[in-house]
Amino acid sequence: MRIGIPRALLYYIYYPFWKTFFESLGYEVILSKPTNKKILKDGLESTVDDACLPIKVFHGHVIDLIDKVDAVFIPRVISVEPKEFICPKFLGLPDMIKNSIPNLPPIIDCELSAYKNKKGFWEHALAIGRYLGHSKPKIMKAYMRASIEFNYYKKLRINYGILPLDCGEKSFYELASAKSLHNEDHSCKFTVLIVGHPYNIYDNYVSMNLIKKLQNLGVKVITPEIIPEKNILDGAKQLNKRLFWTLSKNVLGSTYYFLKNGNIDGIVHVASFGCGPDSIVGELLERKLSRDYTLPFLRINIDEHSGEEGFNTRLEAFVDVIEGRR
Amino acid sequence: MRCYLGIDVGSVSTNFALIDEDGQMLKKLYIRTAGKPIEAITNGLKMIQENFKDNIEIMGVGTTGSGRKLAAVIVGADVVKNEITAHAAACIAEYPNVQTILEIGGQDSKIIILRNGVVVDFAMNTVCAAGTGSFLDRQAQRLGIPIEQFGDIALRSKNPTRIAGRCAVFAESDMIHKQQMGYKVEDILKGLCQALVRNYLANVAKGKEIKPPVVFQGGVAANSGIKKAFEEELGVDIIVPKYFDVMGALGAAILAKKFMSQNKYIKTKFLGFEAALREHTAESFECQGCPNLCEIIQIYEDKKLIARWGDRCGRWSESIAV
Repeated sequence: MRIGIPRALLYYIYYPFWKTFFESLGYEVILSKPTNKKILKDGLESTVDDACLPIKVFHGHVIDLIDKVDAVFIPRVISVEPKEFICPKFLGLPDMIKNSIPNLPPIIDCELSAYKNKKGFWEHALAIGRYLGHSKPKIMKAYMRASIEFNYYKKLRINYGILPLDCGEKSFYELASAKSLHNEDHSCKFTVLIVGHPYNIYDNYVSMNLIKKLQNLGVKVITPEIIPEKNILDGAKQLNKRLFWTLSKNVLGSTYYFLKNGNIDGIVHVASFGCGPDSIVGELLERKLSRDYTLPFLRINIDEHSGEEGFNTRLEAFVDVIEGRR
Repeated sequence: MRCYLGIDVGSVSTNFALIDEDGQMLKKLYIRTAGKPIEAITNGLKMIQENFKDNIEIMGVGTTGSGRKLAAVIVGADVVKNEITAHAAACIAEYPNVQTILEIGGQDSKIIILRNGVVVDFAMNTVCAAGTGSFLDRQAQRLGIPIEQFGDIALRSKNPTRIAGRCAVFAESDMIHKQQMGYKVEDILKGLCQALVRNYLANVAKGKEIKPPVVFQGGVAANSGIKKAFEEELGVDIIVPKYFDVMGALGAAILAKKFMSQNKYIKTKFLGFEAALREHTAESFECQGCPNLCEIIQIYEDKKLIARWGDRCGRWSESIAV
């Protein structure tokens, strides 16, 4: 049986876990194609009006999978960290998909909530396994393997600073290995921290190749995904209130950490148009950074329009600002 | 005479600035792009050559504006810079202590914040072009007023009416409504100026600290009504530089001059004025390589392919050495 995983949203975080888990249970995992014009168009046409771009893109990826798989994996994600939440659109995602897209294969939509404690991940895995008709020991085994693999991948990513970027059809997970990387470019003149939701930063189509473009301009790019978790928590502690959105916490936590511990030359915030948390986080960042011009700060709003010229102009000007301030 | 050329290819106008080695303006050109950037560029080159014949030697070329890549390919450029850096460079050269630059062009508007002669922050209008030159052009045309007189007429107003400036479409219907109600043209124009300034300050300049000296440049700076509205809203004097309409081109020329003086052993890439005589054409096709269906633009010089862009993956653009 083939299980389809849409190459969107939390794919950029949990794909190594999901892939290993399903494969250990004996399934073939099929990824949707990297985001392209057709996927975006399909997504725009099928999604309810008031959704944000990443949700629309997700819809497009589900459509891409329809004829290729026997089931699509769309977990109902409520929380991935104790006492924190993920965007409410993730919670309703399986329902949105079922109501908006016709002729769907079966959807695996088991709930993931680690709000009480991290055991939520195991309960989530157990529910998926049970739904697919497996015994508890077998599910346990697959879960253990997936967790080990996921933790190993995460360590690799942080130790070697591997950005979870896909390349062509290849997923970031396939590409991540210690030897393939760390060809650190010494020609980099500046270091820039890019913050934002992983699915906005790493989807090369949606972000209009933001990372590659900055790298071509001589910038070393770092993101919250390659920063040790404890540093992010360290930074997040400086806020006067606990942030209960996991992804926003990563954005603000890593920014605050670097503001205190120096050695970056600028910050780019990628926000998707219409995102509630992003609008608040963006404002907080702007107040912190722009008021006394501590660091060059660029805010990029992504939406479905694809005019790249204005986007390039901003990036180039941003790098010029960094250069000029040196 | 040795000089440097700056070219700014914008959506509405294509501008040229020719400066000498001391940075003094020798010649400026403001040509309407009229949707044909290639023609505008070659026409500009011809005009400069006719004007100076063989008395000048181009030592360096800089291009900027949304058509900077195109201009660089046709003319041969040493520096290809974004508009923000170019505008800032031109302004700093004239006003070294400027702290805020307001720039409103044909289809975009920007704010540039400088401290101690260095750009520290900037913003550009995002999806909306309300309040830029092309909108003013259109409204002036609709009211039957030459755009050059727009500002002076607006200044005559004593009781400006309030126009919704959030969106060009709504602003237009608001204006039509006010006309039907019997408001005077000057009051409507002044109201429009105020609305555009409000919109600019609320969108583009949102959250930015506007400190004097404030310089206002770009084609719209010709409009004294807008300048006045800015002064009233900000409570500071607004400086409009002498070459306000070609500041981008001037900046590009200054950057080219700077670049060449830092790289003394590099010869300019300028292709010569003959470039203008060659025939340049652009063609486009849709790449069928993947579902992205990118539109690829190909630039030909006398039937020889000289540049290609528009693809996301680099399949076409990287297969030709520019």
